[in-house]
Amino acid sequence: MSIADLAHHSMWRPATLPELLTRLAERHAKTQSTILLAGGTDWVVEQELSPPHSDPAKLPLLADISRLEELRGIELTGSTLRIGAAATYLEMRRHPHIGQGDKRAALLARMAQDLGALQIQARGTLGGNLATGSPAADGVAALMAYDTTVVLQSTRGERKVPITAYQTGYKRSVREGDEVITAFEIDLPARYSWYWRKVGTRRAQSISKVALAAVAVVDSGKLTRVGLGMASVAPVTAPLQNTRTLLLSTPIADLTRDSLAAAVRSDCAPIDDVRSTREYREHCARVVVHDFCRQLGAPV
Amino acid sequence: MKLTLTINGAPREVEASPTARLLDVLRGPLALTGSKEGCGEGECGACTVLLDGDPVNACLVLAGQCEGREVITVEGLADGQSLTPLQRAFAEHGGAQCGICTPGMLVSATAYEKTHKSLVTLRESIAGNICRCTGYQRIVDSIERAGDADRTGTFGSVGA
Repeated sequence: MSIADLAHHSMWRPATLPELLTRLAERHAKTQSTILLAGGTDWVVEQELSPPHSDPAKLPLLADISRLEELRGIELTGSTLRIGAAATYLEMRRHPHIGQGDKRAALLARMAQDLGALQIQARGTLGGNLATGSPAADGVAALMAYDTTVVLQSTRGERKVPITAYQTGYKRSVREGDEVITAFEIDLPARYSWYWRKVGTRRAQSISKVALAAVAVVDSGKLTRVGLGMASVAPVTAPLQNTRTLLLSTPIADLTRDSLAAAVRSDCAPIDDVRSTREYREHCARVVVHDFCRQLGAPV
Repeated sequence: MKLTLTINGAPREVEASPTARLLDVLRGPLALTGSKEGCGEGECGACTVLLDGDPVNACLVLAGQCEGREVITVEGLADGQSLTPLQRAFAEHGGAQCGICTPGMLVSATAYEKTHKSLVTLRESIAGNICRCTGYQRIVDSIERAGDADRTGTFGSVGA
């Protein structure tokens, strides 16, 4: 599809989630393609860059889910923060538990501040960030640091998937064609440290060369919970499992530069592309993990 | 298909595809050519408009997503021939040079003044708007001075 095809699509705005799920299931059963359109900040750009569709009659249906109430709220219940998949980054920055007020999920607001610019933050959503499947997704890195649960719904019911199990390869995931990402659930620790570092060509609008989101709970000099998410160093957002294992098994005071560097190297598989090189990304991945650990008090 | 939106304060009905870009509907059937197309991919901000008060790139929003919502373009900022303090400041302090980025800059700066001052810094508020002429400093100066103008009362003398 190209931008020339854009106006020839059909748009449908479901009024309720059940209405969306029912039609999505019907279309999926007939192998008809449906685009779930939230902010459009990736999808519309992709149309701009693509060649015209060979058969305009087979254009997918655009389901505008950007205003679907069931996908929009942000609520804290006990220690669980539930963020609707179509809540925007700007809504998160304004929210009394994220960017304002008690800032219990401050990492999300800090990440959102570096994502695009206000125009993108006013439209972009975490659900879209995950569904698009770019390994450079800043939002997904932050969700991974919180070990977020992804909530999926279809007419078959609801299922919950850990964020680290959601992506199965480059732009591939466990989501079936009749499923919708409806929300994210984050178990917020009562006390924790967080870290965010994005490396890009400039502060606004840049797609990450490397980004690290981290969440850590420290007790008596040891990490009792750690979550990491790194963007742009692998075909999917990298959870840095070996680095997590090292951090959970070693007192902070005993962490070394070399052991961390070896763990990070084993967790990443960056490539050369238009934005950066494999070598520079490996360097940045190491540097940001060292920086995070230094801020936790590690002698690195 | 007929779409209904509020444009610059007035309800408008327009014949357009709901999957056309808002930018094309503004510049085409609505004949509001103030919003410019720069990059067409959400990078440059020349097409920035306010959607329910928040700045968005009109090149990335589909017209149908705006149905029933309020859109403010650069044409909606001034009251007739009377410029806003922000527009006057851009004219007086060199905030507008070649002019291509100016509509988007003015819309982003308006959002900053009206709603985002507590959330973002002035420079962050225009970080999504690229300018190739001014080096940005004159734009920043203009926005700062427009704020001054708003805070200054009117002083007059009679029969002195």
